[in-house]
Amino acid sequence: MAGTTGISTHTSPNGAWRITTRKLPILKADPIEALSNDIGIPIPEMIFGDNFVSVTHIPSQWTLEFNVRDALDRVSKTEQGMLQVAVAEEWKKERAHQEEVKQVVKPFDWSYSTDYCGTTHAEKGGEWRDAVGEKEVVRTDLLARQDPIQFFDAVDLYEDELADNGIALLNIKVRMMPERLLLLSRFFLRLDGVVIRIRDTRVYVEHAEKKVVRQYTAKEEEYDVVQEKLRGMRENAPEAFRDANKLAPMLRTIEDRTEVFEVS
Amino acid sequence: MPGLPASVDLDECIARLYRKELLADSVIEAICAKTKELLMKESNVVHIQSPVTVVGDIHGQFFDMIEIFKIGGYCPDTNYLFLGDYVDRGLFSIETISLLVCLKLRYPQRVHLIRGNHESRGVTQSYGFYTECSRKYGNPAVWHHFTDMFDYLSLSCVIDDKIFCVHGGLSPSIHSIDQIKIIDRFREIPHEGPMADLVWSDPDSERDEFSLSPRGAGYTFGAQVVKKFLEVNSMTHILRAHQLCNEGYMVMFDDRLSTVWSAPNYCYRCGNLASVLEVGPGGERKWNVFDAAPENEAHRLEQQNQQQHAGNDPVRDYFL
Repeated sequence: MAGTTGISTHTSPNGAWRITTRKLPILKADPIEALSNDIGIPIPEMIFGDNFVSVTHIPSQWTLEFNVRDALDRVSKTEQGMLQVAVAEEWKKERAHQEEVKQVVKPFDWSYSTDYCGTTHAEKGGEWRDAVGEKEVVRTDLLARQDPIQFFDAVDLYEDELADNGIALLNIKVRMMPERLLLLSRFFLRLDGVVIRIRDTRVYVEHAEKKVVRQYTAKEEEYDVVQEKLRGMRENAPEAFRDANKLAPMLRTIEDRTEVFEVS
Repeated sequence: MPGLPASVDLDECIARLYRKELLADSVIEAICAKTKELLMKESNVVHIQSPVTVVGDIHGQFFDMIEIFKIGGYCPDTNYLFLGDYVDRGLFSIETISLLVCLKLRYPQRVHLIRGNHESRGVTQSYGFYTECSRKYGNPAVWHHFTDMFDYLSLSCVIDDKIFCVHGGLSPSIHSIDQIKIIDRFREIPHEGPMADLVWSDPDSERDEFSLSPRGAGYTFGAQVVKKFLEVNSMTHILRAHQLCNEGYMVMFDDRLSTVWSAPNYCYRCGNLASVLEVGPGGERKWNVFDAAPENEAHRLEQQNQQQHAGNDPVRDYFL
């Protein structure tokens, strides 16, 4: 879908940085088929294929964009890392001799786990480099300040209930304050009885600087371990299991890297 | 069959529920017990006659269900067949299922309810209905009443001996309708087997036969499976729900199968249309497509105002 429908945009007070979001309904049948053919896997149940969030450095037109196609393209299209639902073993035993079932759908990571960190458009060249020193970090101390939020948006990219075996969800939150901006792209997976997974990408900009800091953090924990922890905390488990913010501190960090892009 | 307690006036319950008022938990208990008795006598395959309006997933979107009655006619002027997934996800699962159950009790021959995969203890604990019951009634007793009653819901319906209606789809263990009739359905939906398949499986236009999902559980079924099932059972069409469609419905396999979806703007954010299927006296099918009810937006703004007063303004979401 082209045009400006569903688009919101906001520019920093110094005119250097711009956030753009687009929120539209889920895709219709034909675009879903086209997208599926394009990336080669079945598409999640709720697919907000026209949605995106981008951060642009206006003077250089450098843009970091988070779109659905590229996020799904990072989902494994082979058996690599493929999960099985909790009842899969039971199924194998019961249905081993089911003659009618002649085909097995081509394997892919049906949990839609993605390590997507955004798509970079750098017409003037340059590339991401590893962050160095204590200064190149996402400054949570500054971001925690109650500065006025001049622009806020939350945008869903896709969601799937995994045939009611849990939830897989990719969404993005973004907020712009007078001096800085923060974007959080979060992939959240809860596979009931199996695993909890959170993959966060944070994009942080001080408007006065010509620098983008991007941190990717992957966390994971076995479902039973989290359930045990929730019991210990006397949390309402059904509610907590739907709240990624509550679950995040209970997971093990398995990857954490910070990169920097210097714009011209 | 013993009647409802004298204190329970069904017409009054229905009037209150149309106004989105909750019933007392003792009333819910009595109504669920009575519904069980009624459902117990239904076959796993209920035979009904046209005209009937068929409704897909509602998922607790109460205002949108009322919209269906506004566009399709109220009970008992219009006959209804609901294909399951009444609860979870939406904000008003209790009000939705309470009204449907009261209508079923009041007009048992004009309202038919079959079971969806969300009419289960397991699924409702993860997707909202359990939490809603605990929150609105202060304890999960009402959830127990409803989920115990769900065990009695029938699994399928046949309209005019021609249209097979089910929540999910077909099963590799079921070739003829008679095989559905012998399932022991009075139980929680099992993880596998024909009863699970009927409420879970999905059609797949790219394949001919049954396929196992890469998840390790769950089937999809293809064009040849549908064709054969219809031939064996002398039927013309399969009508099912279970899958979100942006246009509100989807017709597949040379008009041999259709999906009806009745939750517009699903989860209050998908922006999709919804539909009901009106099966006319001659068996002709007409899609009645509708959009989200305007009451949803009014309710959302009201909630937002309350949140802002409580200091939970989304514009002040200092996420890190």
